[in-house]
Amino acid sequence: METQRRSFLKLMGVGGAFTLLPVGLARAATTPNPEDRAVYISASAGDHGDYYVSAFNASGKILFEQPLPGRGHDIGLRPDHADVAAVERRPGLYGLILDRHTGDVRAKLHCPEDRRFYGHAIYSNDGRYLYITENDFDHARGVVSVWDAKDGYRRVAEFDSFGTGPHELHLMPDGEHLVIANGGLHTHPDQDGRTPLNISSMQPNLSIIDRRTGKLVHQAALKHDWHKLSIRHLDVASNGTIAAGFQYQGDLTDQVPLVGIWHPGSDIRPIEAPDTVQYRMRQYCGSVRFDASGQVFGISCPRGGLVTFWDARTNDFLTHIAAPDGCGLAATDRAGEFVGTSGLGNGWRLDAIRRKRVELPDDSLKSQHWDNHLRRIIA
Amino acid sequence: MIFKPNWRSLLLSTTTAMAFGLASPGAHADIPDENYQAVLAHLLGTVMPPKLDEFHASTETLTQDFENFCSDPDAGGLEDAQTAFHAAMDIWQEIQPWRMGPLVANGRDQHIEYWPDKHGTAARQFRKLMFDKPAAYTDPEKLAGASAALQGFPALEEVLFADDHGDQMIAADEDGVFLCQYGTAIATNLGTLSAELQEEWPAFATAMENAGPDSMDYPTAKFAATDLYRALHEGLLIISTQKLARPLGENAEDARASRAESPLSKRSLRNIEHNLIGLFAIYDGKWGDIGEEGKGLAALIENSLLDRSFRLNWQTVGDSVAKLPPSVTEVLEQPDGYETLTDLKGQIEFLTTLVENDVGGNTQLGGGFNALDGD
Repeated sequence: METQRRSFLKLMGVGGAFTLLPVGLARAATTPNPEDRAVYISASAGDHGDYYVSAFNASGKILFEQPLPGRGHDIGLRPDHADVAAVERRPGLYGLILDRHTGDVRAKLHCPEDRRFYGHAIYSNDGRYLYITENDFDHARGVVSVWDAKDGYRRVAEFDSFGTGPHELHLMPDGEHLVIANGGLHTHPDQDGRTPLNISSMQPNLSIIDRRTGKLVHQAALKHDWHKLSIRHLDVASNGTIAAGFQYQGDLTDQVPLVGIWHPGSDIRPIEAPDTVQYRMRQYCGSVRFDASGQVFGISCPRGGLVTFWDARTNDFLTHIAAPDGCGLAATDRAGEFVGTSGLGNGWRLDAIRRKRVELPDDSLKSQHWDNHLRRIIA
Repeated sequence: MIFKPNWRSLLLSTTTAMAFGLASPGAHADIPDENYQAVLAHLLGTVMPPKLDEFHASTETLTQDFENFCSDPDAGGLEDAQTAFHAAMDIWQEIQPWRMGPLVANGRDQHIEYWPDKHGTAARQFRKLMFDKPAAYTDPEKLAGASAALQGFPALEEVLFADDHGDQMIAADEDGVFLCQYGTAIATNLGTLSAELQEEWPAFATAMENAGPDSMDYPTAKFAATDLYRALHEGLLIISTQKLARPLGENAEDARASRAESPLSKRSLRNIEHNLIGLFAIYDGKWGDIGEEGKGLAALIENSLLDRSFRLNWQTVGDSVAKLPPSVTEVLEQPDGYETLTDLKGQIEFLTTLVENDVGGNTQLGGGFNALDGD
């Protein structure tokens, strides 16, 4: 593992001499950093069943807290615009469009009666359309709804997600296709909307659809032995490489991969960490994020209190950093660096290359339980 | 099976009584990190190493007894080897639930005991092995690189307890000679694996005990102690969802003793009895003659009433298991055997609930906003 990390450091142009520099000097050697203007935004919770969308700056200072009617999940960012979309986690009924600078509510989305939101939303590159994963629960069918931001967020279309239990979705680099993680789990609001009803027959997949027509372009699944690996979260690098994190619905002691790399048109390639790390991932990945270079991706494992880091070029495990109850991950503008948040109120700067974890200095961050996903915007 | 009518009411009544004396975990102040550090030092530094020594010694005895048997095979020698197998399995089953660090490194726990074998891999590979009789499988070093299904306790169980293997070894026919050599290699390999555990454990224990903000593995002692809590919690889950649920199947008609752990050596429930001993040591801090009562996770629980109640509940379940025959086969052959096993599964599930609510809550180790309720 250490050899892999050393070769990786060499590839990234990070030698021992650099790592020996005092932190201050190392920072001074770099150009002025847009990180100073970075704002991180995430769903969060207080101590008393109170839920928010909250934003904090690079120091961890909370900038706003906008109350939500229920627990949020991920935040969709409208390109070149003040809007951000907070969609209630499954089985969600509401979506709020908020001002990213103040948290003020700009529009409300209502889920149709026979659908439930699943917490994730993504905008088209031109900012016009918002895509949301939903559950057509009476037909055990996943759908992606389309909302026109320029027409008061009117619901204008609905596409098949080509699977059950769609969760995270992303725009592909061409801006014309959506990749969807169909987790495979059927749930129904009459049975709490969260309890899986089909574990023995679940069939997760990754699907790519045309965002304008809804036509299926690519689809891949894991081998049948691994059909209980719910493919839930993903991120896409600028070269189109897709990294995915799984959540296993089978036995605690089963040895299964929890991470996959997908180049559309080929099979999903499962990758594993060394046993002592793989075991500590506790069969559960919570969030996936590529770094600024697109070469490294981080996968958080909140049940094990770890963030794992992987090399997307070689498909190798790189390293891991303990992060108790850590889940939210956002890439900074530096290669191999992420900001992570936890349900315990922590915020860290995590450096996958130098294997370092530094707590964000402002304590105001600690007033919240930070939810599964974190997004970074430049103010 | 005698416990059936009363366990539920007994367990429930003690827990109900507890409710009057307890405040919610949230009402307690944070437990200082040094309290967790003391628990880590005791369990990982004081309690576990002698148990790993005991495990290693048992595998050495097993190897010796197997070699003695094979040098001059007879029924008495076979019985000695079988007895040594049971002794080694007893201590392994106590250690098995401490799934962390060196126990899971390099797939070691699976190499020691490949179970559950959902696809019948071991049986299929064993049949091929007996047909080909490759010399590599009689060499402990080469065996260590072979399939996990062919190199640990289940493989040795097949050699010692299956069909007429004992008679073949005593007769020293072609199959018997190979079985003897293969069995000796497995026992030797188990000795190697247990020695690796002894060797690697101290560094792991030190890393856990030295948890701190500079550690990229364990930033606090509390975080490190979470691994102990999880071992306790998951150990119970594995008993109910695998060791009991697999033989029980969907219903009485679907029940199969062959799906239990260690069915050939007829010790599936004896395994659970020993699992419970190892698991309770995590809570209590005393494991047989080793350690000290109250210095495990129990040291983090201020409420003595809750502590007493938990111990009583655990004792009730332990007594229930002790009254059962060691074999699932034997229990399922009884008229009310299926209900008996189902009942035991219910007791283990109830203990799991107590661990989640009482131990997890009061030690402050069972929480986690994202860990418990992510998406």
